[in-house]
Amino acid sequence: MNHLLQNILAFTLLFLALGFLVKKFFWKNSKPTKDIGKHDCDNCH
Amino acid sequence: MSKQINVALIGNPNTGKTSVFNSLTGLNQKVGNYPGITVEKKEGICKLPRGVKAHIIDLPGTYSLNASSLDENVVIELLLNKNDKDFPDVAVVVSDVENLKRNLLLFTQIKDLEIPTVLVINMSDRMKYKGISLDIPYLESQLQTKIALVSTRKNEGIDNLKTLISNYKELSITPCLNASEIDKEYFDNLRKAFPNQLLYKLWLVITQDVNFGKTDRNEIDAVADFKTKTKADLKRLQQKETIKRYQFINNTLKKGQTIDLSTAKDLRIKLDRILTHKIWGYAIFLVILLTIFQAIYDWSAIPMDFIDSSFASLSEWTKNSLPEGAFTSLLAEGIIPGLGGIVIFIPQIAFLFLFISVLEESGYMSRVVFLMDRGMRRFGLSGKSVVPLISGTACAIPAIMATRNIESWKERLITILVTPFTTCSARLPVYLIIISLVIPEGRFLGLGYQALTLMLLYLIGFGAALISAMILNKVLKIKSKSFFVVEMPNYKLPLIKNVALTVVEKTKSFVFGAGKIILAISIVLWFLASYGPGEEFNNAEEIVTEKFASKHLTEEELQNEIASQKLEYSFIGLTGRAIEPAIRPLGYDWKIGIAIVSSFAAREVFVGTLATIYSVGSDEEETIKNRMAGEVNPILGGPLFNFASGISLLLFYAFAMQCMSTLAIVKRETNSWKWPILQLVLMSVFAYVVAFIAFQILI
Ligand SMILES: Nc1nc2c(ncn2[C@@H]2O[C@H](COP(=O)(O)OP(=O)(O)OP(=O)(O)O)[C@@H](O)[C@H]2O)c(=O)[nH]1
Ligand SMILES: [Mg+2]
Repeated sequence: MNHLLQNILAFTLLFLALGFLVKKFFWKNSKPTKDIGKHDCDNCH
Repeated sequence: MSKQINVALIGNPNTGKTSVFNSLTGLNQKVGNYPGITVEKKEGICKLPRGVKAHIIDLPGTYSLNASSLDENVVIELLLNKNDKDFPDVAVVVSDVENLKRNLLLFTQIKDLEIPTVLVINMSDRMKYKGISLDIPYLESQLQTKIALVSTRKNEGIDNLKTLISNYKELSITPCLNASEIDKEYFDNLRKAFPNQLLYKLWLVITQDVNFGKTDRNEIDAVADFKTKTKADLKRLQQKETIKRYQFINNTLKKGQTIDLSTAKDLRIKLDRILTHKIWGYAIFLVILLTIFQAIYDWSAIPMDFIDSSFASLSEWTKNSLPEGAFTSLLAEGIIPGLGGIVIFIPQIAFLFLFISVLEESGYMSRVVFLMDRGMRRFGLSGKSVVPLISGTACAIPAIMATRNIESWKERLITILVTPFTTCSARLPVYLIIISLVIPEGRFLGLGYQALTLMLLYLIGFGAALISAMILNKVLKIKSKSFFVVEMPNYKLPLIKNVALTVVEKTKSFVFGAGKIILAISIVLWFLASYGPGEEFNNAEEIVTEKFASKHLTEEELQNEIASQKLEYSFIGLTGRAIEPAIRPLGYDWKIGIAIVSSFAAREVFVGTLATIYSVGSDEEETIKNRMAGEVNPILGGPLFNFASGISLLLFYAFAMQCMSTLAIVKRETNSWKWPILQLVLMSVFAYVVAFIAFQILI
């Protein structure tokens, strides 16, 4: 196997890995759940 | 013909809803022997007789339809909103044969919403221990429903339940309690104002809004404005409703249920007396903890060494048998060591979850909750905070979600903020490897120093959580009051299937969840460590050869010098050395610095990162542990991982907030960036300071 092929394979993996990490940590469009934070149950009792 | 009906599983906490759900759908949702396991809707499909498909929804446990916490609210919102796509065609109320009276309160409320309702009386296998017998036909006629006597444990009654569900059209929808009985005048007015609506539903909407503020239910929105009574009056009516319902239930059970106390075994009472004893209770808990940590060590040593050396050989083999080149190096120096850094911890993770799930399933964990509740209040937490704190030993994410059943917002917020201090399973790998390097192997009274250190770290985690809770309780200006009723489930022999499932699930999610991240990071790190800018990297061979020309190094020594010169001037070496001044006072070198930085993605990455960095350019076959043990402190000399730097590193990992996923969940649960950022900054600064002090004292 020649060096070119080795490099191609290695860099493909690099881009897959980078893509995965970026998607995992920066792409996550966290959908806001409704009103959980503001709600205060203390008035219920 | 293929039509689908919606079936909602509703019931008090810990009655076995999720077990029934799993039996019906064949899925494996988490089951545990304490209340509050399920906090979100879970869905699945079940095939019923005659080709009908049922869409089954498992819901969080709720004591009544007068919700006081968020997870309970999920149930009510669903039942009040006919437009919800999950609105049930049939409600299956799951009750527990030993707590029938309390369970039926919720049943009567749901029945009054005129939703076809099947009553499941679960845990029928417990009847003979408790001397309970039931007159099912009588109960069916009084409650005007169909009853399925089920034992998910013995797998009995599930087929009957499926038949009852598929015949849901035959169920009576007559209410149990006439709403006007609560307060004739008020309800007559209500009926006049909204003649087309179901009276009990109106009443729920009104009380719901009292409890929770308005939510969008456009359908019968106007009801909320029907305010002829003050809040206090409405509360009084709610109480009256509960009393009326219990009167009805008592009457029904008087004839329908007989309990022969002489056959009931009171083993439980005796056990409880010891396990929740003021002194013995804690002593037993401590002994159990010690046993667990010792066992994790003793049992996993052999598989761990085996895995470690297998990966080292695999790396070596790859390097020797594949043609030389970038890809081969990436495999041998990046991917394989990185994967080894995950796989090596499978034994411990599996044992940890084995113990946790046995404790949960047997019912012992609830006794711990009860035991801890006594002390919790002092720290501004509620007894309910114990569950998240304890389940945080697995992972902070489900633990933070489990806080949804805490009613008081202040207590809930505090619990969310301090839960990441509990030692999660991601810290375990880091602890284990560092402990094995810096803590001697000797034993004291049969207990290994290493196991004791590990237990100490767990206790430090809990301690940090409690103390910061106390501080937060003082600092946060939120008004709060709450009460806590611990419910103690029965002792049960853990079901091997449930335990095995938990172990397999958790281990799998460790390997595949963290594994993907670790793998990706190893790949990136390998590149950063194998390439570099500038002269020093590209001409490393010449520079080093020239430098050592007079020293007569062997070929091997020369190669090692070249490799370390390259690593030092690679991208990662340059970055590492840029941050080195910040971490040197803690006793770390730049390689550990890189491992710490990458750990902010997820803590488990630590070992894999070091494995990758140490492997790059190295020719020997070596295990991760030996490589770490062989590192030399560049400034002070001596092993890099010594007692001082080891303890400092352990403490840093104990306190630092290094988990992006947890931060994301905290953001979601608190609906603001303020809290996760505060958490990240405060915890990490604290970790830094403690690690600094520890190193400076011990050095
Ligand atoms: N003896 C016996 N135990 C059962 C049976 N069904 C469930 N359990 C046990 O009861 C406990 C609670 O079960 P879950 O299915 O988690 O209960 P749940 O209603 O979903 O609980 P939450 O989600 O916390 O509200 C577990 O320990 C189960 O193993 C049964 O038929 N017989
Ligand atoms: Mg459940």
